[in-house]
Amino acid sequence: MSVRFAMWELHLYLDTHCGDAQAAELLNKYAEKYRELLREYECKYGPVTADDGYGAKWLKSPFPWVNGGSDC
Amino acid sequence: MFCYEKILQYPINIKKPNPLYAKIIISQYGGPDGELGASLRYLSQRFAMPWGELQGLLTDIGTEELSHLEMIGTLVYQLTRNLSPEDIKKNGFDSYFVDHTTGVYPASAAGVPFTAAYIQSKGDVLTDLHENMAAEQKARTTYDNILRLVDDPDVCDVIKFLRAREVVHYQRFGEGLRIATDKMNEKNFYAFNPSIDKCRK
Repeated sequence: MSVRFAMWELHLYLDTHCGDAQAAELLNKYAEKYRELLREYECKYGPVTADDGYGAKWLKSPFPWVNGGSDC
Repeated sequence: MFCYEKILQYPINIKKPNPLYAKIIISQYGGPDGELGASLRYLSQRFAMPWGELQGLLTDIGTEELSHLEMIGTLVYQLTRNLSPEDIKKNGFDSYFVDHTTGVYPASAAGVPFTAAYIQSKGDVLTDLHENMAAEQKARTTYDNILRLVDDPDVCDVIKFLRAREVVHYQRFGEGLRIATDKMNEKNFYAFNPSIDKCRK
């Protein structure tokens, strides 16, 4: 989830540097990569957000505090 | 509104339970400079922030603090798995265990329950941003102290990540303060409070 983290770090940076086009472009690049990786991850481990699945699908993989359930 | 993502911000996989470490680390869950206070502080203060940059900054950092609260809860949970009665007694975890078993409860390392008295929401942009910069440093010091007391690399790795986030948030709040003062009366920042007073034209 290092791509997710890079996106978040840029998101915070852009709160105080909202005119920085270079950072915005970099964030968009990461976002594109993240969409691909998220699709792969969700195929393997199930939904990450409530919008991506419910019921048995949502509950199939362990919650992230359970050992080994969070490493992605 | 808030949406949950079923992942931790940083992976946690503790192999060796240690109730003493759990008792120390719980302070960052519900202690005076912990993540619960941090998230409540920023998510409450944001309503009085006068400009979009600052409303965004407090919303985003406050939200990230909630994910740190989840990480601290995860550390405490994983450090208190499969304990023997001897483990519970010999590490001084018995005083926590008697009230909470191994449930995660917002309290300080000394057992003081969380209180909103740990935070302030003053309705003044300068006051609140200064409080937040101090809060990030206090949390950073607490993580430094945890690193002084803990020598399990699996735990320290996570604590170092959280410590680094305090430093980044301090930096962002500093930039927020700069944005605020740039928008205020240069000759006297305290002339009026932009969240309630209107500038006379």
